[in-house]
Amino acid sequence: MAARSDTETLEDLLAREQRLLSAYEAALRRDAIDPALGETLRDHERAHVRALEQTLAGAGRRNPRASVPSAELTAALRDRDTFAQFAMRLEEETRGMYIDAAARMRDADLRRPLGSIMACGAAHVVALKDSLGIFLVN
Amino acid sequence: MAPSLTRREALGGAAAALLLASCGGGDPPPATGPKPGSGAALLGSLLALERASFAAYGACLEVLRGEARQQVHAIRAQERGHASGLERLITDLGGDPPPGRSADEYARTFPRLETPADALRFVQDLEERQVRAYLEALTELPDLELRRAAAGICGDEANHLAAARVLQGLQAAEGPFVTGAL
Repeated sequence: MAARSDTETLEDLLAREQRLLSAYEAALRRDAIDPALGETLRDHERAHVRALEQTLAGAGRRNPRASVPSAELTAALRDRDTFAQFAMRLEEETRGMYIDAAARMRDADLRRPLGSIMACGAAHVVALKDSLGIFLVN
Repeated sequence: MAPSLTRREALGGAAAALLLASCGGGDPPPATGPKPGSGAALLGSLLALERASFAAYGACLEVLRGEARQQVHAIRAQERGHASGLERLITDLGGDPPPGRSADEYARTFPRLETPADALRFVQDLEERQVRAYLEALTELPDLELRRAAAGICGDEANHLAAARVLQGLQAAEGPFVTGAL
């Protein structure tokens, strides 16, 4: 299989960030997350989406379409603990994508900022663990 | 009035001094095995940071209690694992990991840690420096697998940094881009 281009990898990450953003927006609407925590995480995801969109626009690419909410998200919105567990899984999966992407980027100038977003995702997991009262260190 | 140094600034300066000392000219140069540009020298610098942090967290544990102590103990164990992983990578590149310093040598560079708050601020400062070092390494390491290893450890250090912040009552992440931006 041919290796994915930097642009394709950034599109994958943008789709993932949009999914996280949608999840936090939905959780805030449904009171499935503490409002202060949810707003912070949502705002960070917005900043990640905006940064990736700007980078892709610079490469002359359009943004990938947003997807419909998954049945898994709908189920996770029933209470705060269930949503926190769901969001932690999503953040951990996303962190794995960023680790691979930051290492693979052919454009070395993009590796550090992608690592920086990955580090923010790691912090999100800690914040969600704290909301659940579980051990913070991986 | 003479400018004063806040305790936070003093601890941050101490973290910088510790890390500079850990990478200082007193360390023997890397062995002659690896090719120039292999990344072995950079990995040696990261290893020095990990060892210095491991030693520093030992001092932090002496003043921490309860949950904070448990969390920092877990962080310290992970730093030892990172150091072992970096030693293996250097060896795989044909190098000899630098020998590191004695516990006493590290201890001489530590700030005075009088309270749990002092210790947690010191942990935070050290973790911020480690995250920065691994992000920098991502741009410089020449090999995909080395970069993947660095990115994975960077994720762990970001976890530690966030934990240190939460234990001080701060938000887990200071902003959407930890020590950098697109």
